[in-house]
Amino acid sequence: MSSSETVQHARTQTPSEGVGLAKRVVGKIAKWSVLLFFLAITLFPLLWLIMTTFKTNAEFMADPLALPSGIYWQNYADAVRVSGLPRLLLNSVMVSSGSTIIAMFICSMGAFVFAREEFRGKQIILTVILAGVLVPIIALMVPYYRIIRSIGLFDHLFGLTLVYVAINIPISTFLLQGFMKSIPYELEEAGIIDGCGFWQRYARIVLPLSKLGLVTAGTFVFLFSWNEFIYALLLTTSFANRTLQLGIRDFQGQFFTNYTGMYAAIVLSIIPSVIVYVLFHDRIVSGLTSGALKS
Amino acid sequence: MTLHKNWKGITLFMLPVGVMYFTFFIYPLGYVFVLSTMSWSGFGPMEFVGLHNFRRLLGMTSFQFGLRNNLIWALSLGFIQVGLAAVVAMILARKPPFWRFLRTVYFLPTVISQVAIAMLWYTIYRENFGLLNTILRNMGLDQLAINWLGTFTTALPAVIAQQLFYIGYFMIIILAGVMSIPKSLYESAEIDGATVLQQEFYITIPMVRDIVVVAMTLAMAFGIRHFEATFLLTGGGPAHRTTTLGILLHRNLHAANYGRGNAIAAVLIVVGALIITVVRRLLSTRSAVEDAKQ
Repeated sequence: MSSSETVQHARTQTPSEGVGLAKRVVGKIAKWSVLLFFLAITLFPLLWLIMTTFKTNAEFMADPLALPSGIYWQNYADAVRVSGLPRLLLNSVMVSSGSTIIAMFICSMGAFVFAREEFRGKQIILTVILAGVLVPIIALMVPYYRIIRSIGLFDHLFGLTLVYVAINIPISTFLLQGFMKSIPYELEEAGIIDGCGFWQRYARIVLPLSKLGLVTAGTFVFLFSWNEFIYALLLTTSFANRTLQLGIRDFQGQFFTNYTGMYAAIVLSIIPSVIVYVLFHDRIVSGLTSGALKS
Repeated sequence: MTLHKNWKGITLFMLPVGVMYFTFFIYPLGYVFVLSTMSWSGFGPMEFVGLHNFRRLLGMTSFQFGLRNNLIWALSLGFIQVGLAAVVAMILARKPPFWRFLRTVYFLPTVISQVAIAMLWYTIYRENFGLLNTILRNMGLDQLAINWLGTFTTALPAVIAQQLFYIGYFMIIILAGVMSIPKSLYESAEIDGATVLQQEFYITIPMVRDIVVVAMTLAMAFGIRHFEATFLLTGGGPAHRTTTLGILLHRNLHAANYGRGNAIAAVLIVVGALIITVVRRLLSTRSAVEDAKQ
């Protein structure tokens, strides 16, 4: 297809070949300058950070830009020892997977009703829930703080989990009900004839067919919870309940002048997000685009 | 489809989402607006003070800077970041070599936490051993190697810049829109002798206009909510030059100034809603373009 395009292109350009060619060269240069600029600004700092983690502090301070003289793994050992990364990672995994599972469970139930049942006021309720996407969650700091304190979940990982579930209700319900609507009714009708009740229609028929939707919505909840900082800062205090993002903030104090050790800790903290991205890249893209195109 | 409605089932299934939504959205929103008219430190009775909290805020330098900075954030992300994202999306939609690779790389920072990104940029901006100043000094531009985050004029641009060029999120949204435009439109334009730039101006931009407006709305919402990078890089300083409403809200919460904190939150919610409504009114066209897509 691309070859026929170029042939056609060349034919239309013939009257003013010289000007057309010059224009195309300028266009190409402009296009690639833009693409390379964003490539550089995205990758260069990250690669510089990774490179720095293989240098000793003396090497780094002598010349922050120079290549490392060898590979110095000690920074990573320091990073794990000084920062308490294992504990931070464990807490983050618990909070993120906990909120993902709970959010998928309750939102899929709600979404099932929105997608498969008809009743008065349904559209209004759905619209109200969706409007939650527009609420700047940061503005709810004081009420969230008071609510979590009053139910006794302050400085408790479950309190944080609950908040993350709540914040993700609008987007998850929206994505899941959209997905469930696309599942053909015939399968469910067959189930009803076979005597499937409400719960069985949800658990045996619709839910198994919604796997892709659950993965998409779940990826969003997981990434949100994994990366969330403000409410982790607000709702936990003790080290035992600190998540990874709070831990990163403390690196400066913990590592003091051990810069390369701190950079290694930052690199380690980024790796899990990158793994999730590599594994679920397609789901993230489809979730984002279906959300934006329909809103 | 169902012969008789299963009200018990419907109620049971809606209950968890309903209870959570009420507890964490409806009640807190009411709480913010009611408490914004009160004076309360967390103990003892609340005292109704009317608009006193808002009047006090308007006279505070920190609040004036916070509101101004939030607007600068919202406009920078909404117009510059989304604008850049749209340009890149239009280039990638023509599938240049490595376009899949580029798309993947551009989106990568979006999945990394803002905290890690902020720490990364701290290592770039720091006065000594920072990447930026090292490069400047190597180029012989020693006088330009300043304390970027501590100088009045450069602090806010520096904090905004660390987010501005990560265009991946909006690029993905707009790219999907551009790629859904029928190829036949471009083919007939090509036959009519339209240049690439003309095609982008007269076909792509009108066709994706509404999606770009959605992206701008999201970007401005992010600008209004901004917190992490400022909190970590400058803490709002120097002398409130980079502060935002979120930072001030957090401060007031810690000082147990619940009334004033909620007044800031109320401003944040209202200003956010206003700016989004205005932009949508001015820029969105929900008409011919919609029909053309079908």
